[in-house]
Amino acid sequence: MYIYTCSPDYESMLTCIYEAWASGKGHANIKLCVEPVDQYGLFDEYIYVEGNTEKAEKVSRAVWTRISQYLYWEISHALLSFEEDALDTVYRIMILGFHFGPQVTEMIQYKEVVRFREIRKLVSREVCSFQEFMRFYKVQDDVYVAHFEPRSRVIMPVAKYFMDRMPSENWMIIDDTHKEAIIHPKDEDCYMRILTDEELQALSSTESEDYYTRLWRNYFHTMGIRQRENKACQNNHFPLWMRKHATEFKEECE
Amino acid sequence: MYEIKTSMTTEEKLEILADAAKYDVACTSSGVDRKGKKGELGNCRAAGVCHTFASDGRCISLLKILMTNHCIYDCKYCINRCSNDVPRAAFTPEEICDLTVEFYKRNYIEGLFLSSGIVKSPGHTMELMCRVLEKLRTEYHFNGYIHIKAIPGVPDELIAKAGYLADRVSINMEFAGDDSLKKFAPNKNFKTIINPMEKISNTIALHRLAIGKDARMERSTGNRYLENSIFNIKRIEEAGEGYKQLPASISSGNLKRAFAPAGQSTQMIIGAGTETDYELLQTTQRLYQDYDLKRVFYSAYVPLNDDPALPAIGTPVPLLREHRLYQADWLLRYYGFRAGELLSEEKPDFNEQLDPKCDWALRHLDIFPVEIMTASFELLLRVPGIGPTGAKRIVSSRRYGSLNYEHLKKMGIVLKRAHYFITCNGKMMYKTPVEENYITRELTVVNRKENWEIVHRNQYEQMSLFDDYKLG
Repeated sequence: MYIYTCSPDYESMLTCIYEAWASGKGHANIKLCVEPVDQYGLFDEYIYVEGNTEKAEKVSRAVWTRISQYLYWEISHALLSFEEDALDTVYRIMILGFHFGPQVTEMIQYKEVVRFREIRKLVSREVCSFQEFMRFYKVQDDVYVAHFEPRSRVIMPVAKYFMDRMPSENWMIIDDTHKEAIIHPKDEDCYMRILTDEELQALSSTESEDYYTRLWRNYFHTMGIRQRENKACQNNHFPLWMRKHATEFKEECE
Repeated sequence: MYEIKTSMTTEEKLEILADAAKYDVACTSSGVDRKGKKGELGNCRAAGVCHTFASDGRCISLLKILMTNHCIYDCKYCINRCSNDVPRAAFTPEEICDLTVEFYKRNYIEGLFLSSGIVKSPGHTMELMCRVLEKLRTEYHFNGYIHIKAIPGVPDELIAKAGYLADRVSINMEFAGDDSLKKFAPNKNFKTIINPMEKISNTIALHRLAIGKDARMERSTGNRYLENSIFNIKRIEEAGEGYKQLPASISSGNLKRAFAPAGQSTQMIIGAGTETDYELLQTTQRLYQDYDLKRVFYSAYVPLNDDPALPAIGTPVPLLREHRLYQADWLLRYYGFRAGELLSEEKPDFNEQLDPKCDWALRHLDIFPVEIMTASFELLLRVPGIGPTGAKRIVSSRRYGSLNYEHLKKMGIVLKRAHYFITCNGKMMYKTPVEENYITRELTVVNRKENWEIVHRNQYEQMSLFDDYKLG
């Protein structure tokens, strides 16, 4: 088995798909995965692929023009996933896509398609959840900062939602897991920044309590009806791992 | 009743007024898609956004508060009735606006849900509420979601104003019948609830027509393939004489907004009055058809007041009944069922052991089992264990090859319920007889755990030798 590996950014992943495809080793003999590899196989050959803009563009153009824009959109979101087999599944979907055309996502008779849809669903759920559960803290006069720790790299789609929601505020979202931040100055476009460890350290203590955090916490505890208590339902809807930065659960987590 | 402490802080007020508002069920922020604007704060998403979940598992998406819990009415079921001795408070408009905007910026909430007790008169209260909304929209430039509870018996102009400022307007029906309303809410009158509801509905329809939309509200897309759906009736608007509608906008400034773009909703109390499930469901269907309500909510009555006409304090909350009604409500809105199919006058209440869809399927075993590869979308939706998403997936994927039970499981079909009613390529999953008694027995076992959990969810208590075994 030949295993193609690459770093976990979008361009490298597409280049990796390009190289694997162009190698001519046969789809069944190839596997793709993202660095770091947890456990190396004894009889596998590992080939590391560097990112290359030109090759990545070729792949995206091929999907865009020869299959469909919809599939391109789906693939680009699936590649954000933290699942280990996300890259390999996308590769398999592209093989099926070039063979069957745009309807491939409906053909759940293939187990690759089922897996692809699962991965895609996990990503969109995570995007949705963090749009809901993101909590901003006021740091200076009118700067709002939020930390979150997603599993997948969902900071871009999450930030897009907040650009529409608060176009005339200064805000910043920090992804602690992947050390990325999106900064949105008032009435302007936002930009992304990859944070160094020092920067992350400096930004780590923004979650300070103020008058409204206290009000919110009181409000939250008042709203539950004691006679209808249902913690299982609460945990289903608001998973524990997402509560790390949620103001209303802060005291319970600590 | 008298406020002895005059200088209450916002924090104390919030605690009192949120506590008083929490028994209102509707907390949805759905029904309207609106993009954000530069210089304003907020947007809306048609699917709704839940921001957190309270300890009872209900979502909190709006800041749900009463403007005040002072009330001149004496509705028997209400915690804020004038004969109750509870702490009272009132927000100022600025306090409500500040809270909404600050909470919104921190992404705690999706908007405001404003309700109120009646101070002085319904008209006066409604005017105060409109003033809050106007301030929020014009001075605070708030573009998020607002749900306002309209108060029965106020002038049309005020309801119109509320509609132009808010996204959703709702008037609580509370009871499905006039008799119960008279008994439990002597100050309210059925006419003053239905009349504005009709006017709001007509005004929304006209506004929708004016911007080129269909007169009826958007519904789940599956409904257009369902012949039997309750929403498949054309609404013809004849804005002539006798057509009840609200007056044109009287809101100040250059605020141009659609009239209640997220539609209207209502709420009914379960377990306080004497209505049967059949009456409640028929009323629900009529409200959807005649007044095009976006949602009807049910609220299991939590005994709060000691009143001889009502269930005593400590009576278990009828959660299972509420659950069954919501299941039936979903069957009406997404599955193409009608109230008359689920219940009848001879059998006016839901089966406690089985959900309404299984119950219906067991009474119609003549059409089962259905073949997954050939059955219509409408028929697939009638199979217990197959929902709208599952049915859509089956229909779209069977075009590209045959399906087996493994595929169905992967698609999210609940086979433990569905397998009694379907065949895949001519075969049933197990050797099961299509026989009413047998399937009823089996399905009851499947549902038992779920039902038990709903009923006994929070009745854990310390075991006591003396009380439980009457040894004392």
